[in-house]
Amino acid sequence: MSQKNNNIKQVAIIGAGPAGLQAATVLSQNQVQVLLIDKQAKTGGHLEKWSHLFPDSRPSNEILKVLQQGIQKENIQFFKNKRVSKISKSNGQWELGTDDGLVINSDAVVIATGFNTFDAHQKEEYGYGIYPAVVTSENLESIFKGETTWPFNSSGKDLRFGIVHCVGSRDAKCGNLYCSKVCCVTAVKQAIELKKKFPGATVYCFYMDMRMFGTGYEELYQEAQTKYNIQFIRGRLSEASPSQDNRLQVKAEDTLLGRPAKLTLDMLVLMVGMIPAVSLEMKNDAVYLNQPAYGSSFITPDDVFLKMNHHQQAGLFITGACKGPASIPEVLQDAKATSIEVLNYFNNKIK
Amino acid sequence: MAGTKFGFFDANVRSINLDVETPETIEGVLHREPSLLKCIGCGNCAAMCTAGHFTDLRFYRLNLYLKRGLVNEIRKEAQNCMLCGKCQLTCPRGVNIRHAILLMSSIRP
Ligand SMILES: Cc1cc2nc3c(=O)[nH]c(=O)nc-3n(C[C@H](O)[C@H](O)[C@H](O)COP(=O)(O)OP(=O)(O)OC[C@H]3O[C@@H](n4cnc5c(N)ncnc54)[C@H](O)[C@@H]3O)c2cc1C
Ligand code: SF4
Ligand code: SF4
Ligand code: SF4
Repeated sequence: MSQKNNNIKQVAIIGAGPAGLQAATVLSQNQVQVLLIDKQAKTGGHLEKWSHLFPDSRPSNEILKVLQQGIQKENIQFFKNKRVSKISKSNGQWELGTDDGLVINSDAVVIATGFNTFDAHQKEEYGYGIYPAVVTSENLESIFKGETTWPFNSSGKDLRFGIVHCVGSRDAKCGNLYCSKVCCVTAVKQAIELKKKFPGATVYCFYMDMRMFGTGYEELYQEAQTKYNIQFIRGRLSEASPSQDNRLQVKAEDTLLGRPAKLTLDMLVLMVGMIPAVSLEMKNDAVYLNQPAYGSSFITPDDVFLKMNHHQQAGLFITGACKGPASIPEVLQDAKATSIEVLNYFNNKIK
Repeated sequence: MAGTKFGFFDANVRSINLDVETPETIEGVLHREPSLLKCIGCGNCAAMCTAGHFTDLRFYRLNLYLKRGLVNEIRKEAQNCMLCGKCQLTCPRGVNIRHAILLMSSIRP
């Protein structure tokens, strides 16, 4: 990168999930040299793990393919298996450092590090990691994709599934007070998908509030009730334990009736929340991308109305779910907005 | 049951056992009034209901009893309805409440 043409600007994008891929596409279309870096071997971030997408049940491959085609350009270079751990700036040039000592220079930096899913082991009462029939929403996607097998006898009759909302979200015990926003609609998406796979099954969703924020989501919820007969019970599950016939016994309060309920299940799906993938720390004029700890917050924009894509220093941008829970359409739009801001910065329109 | 001996009820009496198979009578009501599935338990129907000021009648609760298979509770409460239809005017999900109550009150043990 030393022999660079001075008219051509370079941007380093940290994270090749939907947000990073979209920003790389738009910036490269505008004659910016893109250095795209991901700690994983493949691009796609979490999108690569999902089977079908809400709100319209589209196979995620379709979206992934478009995004991956967007980066098949000469002026985009992809660095795989590189975890960025440090960002610093000197003489108007940015310098990224990775865990294994690689140094990458650029004129601007976009952080698109996304999120991690909440570690369900922390909610011990649900028995994740102890009972094989307890899985996370993330695990269920890989079962849908055929990468993992069902944790119960899938030829069995009268199967019963439970879905627990808000696992690791809206929970001071887990250090996360916020709502992860996409898990209610993910629960509805997965409940419908389970009914499509097992039409004779009964599916219960245990929710605290149904937060169907996006266009078409409330309609999907109603469809889940009327067309698929999914049972929604308002109340959080207190615990899961093995039943005598080696299934799962769960207890919850049916808060709308004010009465406790108990039932036996063949599989329990935990709607794990989103937590930050990195925790930024400013030290000696450099920004460190640390592993998040209990209660770490997402990256905060300089102004939630006016500077949604900026973070503290001119030339340092943030985009996508690294700022907090978001859906794929949202992060794609956000990445386009971020790209405009990067171009404006290169054209000296913003300081 | 054992609990009553000491002058209190077994706590299990209040607990809902969702493993019990849904009675056919209930399937019948849901089949004949599918709009019941649309209910979101907002309580608007109950807030509107005049009978609810004097009795235990809460329509959304009737619907929940139905979905949880609690036939006895339904019969007891449904009888308090005057079929005035006020609830139905306000229901945001368009549940056909009066017809549902008629079906519920005709459930036989
Ligand atoms: C169970 C579940 C199901 C979902 N289903 C849907 C759905 O159906 N429809 C929908 O619209 N949304 C869905 N979402 C939300 C969707 O996954 C996110 O909106 C989207 O993945 C966010 O994109 P992103 O690029 O911001 O982050 P990510 O997808 O998390 O990508 C971030 C990338 O950054 C990389 N990275 C992180 N840190 C570093 C570092 N230090 N150095 C280098 N690389 C790094 C990661 O490896 C990753 O590739 C779902 C979420 C969950 C949890
Ligand atoms: S979106 Fe729904 S499940 Fe997820 S944290 Fe918010 S309320 Fe809970
Ligand atoms: S008003 Fe309608 S949606 Fe609301 S609780 Fe009553 S029946 Fe259900
Ligand atoms: S129809 Fe019955 S439930 Fe509805 S408002 Fe009148 S009395 Fe109440």
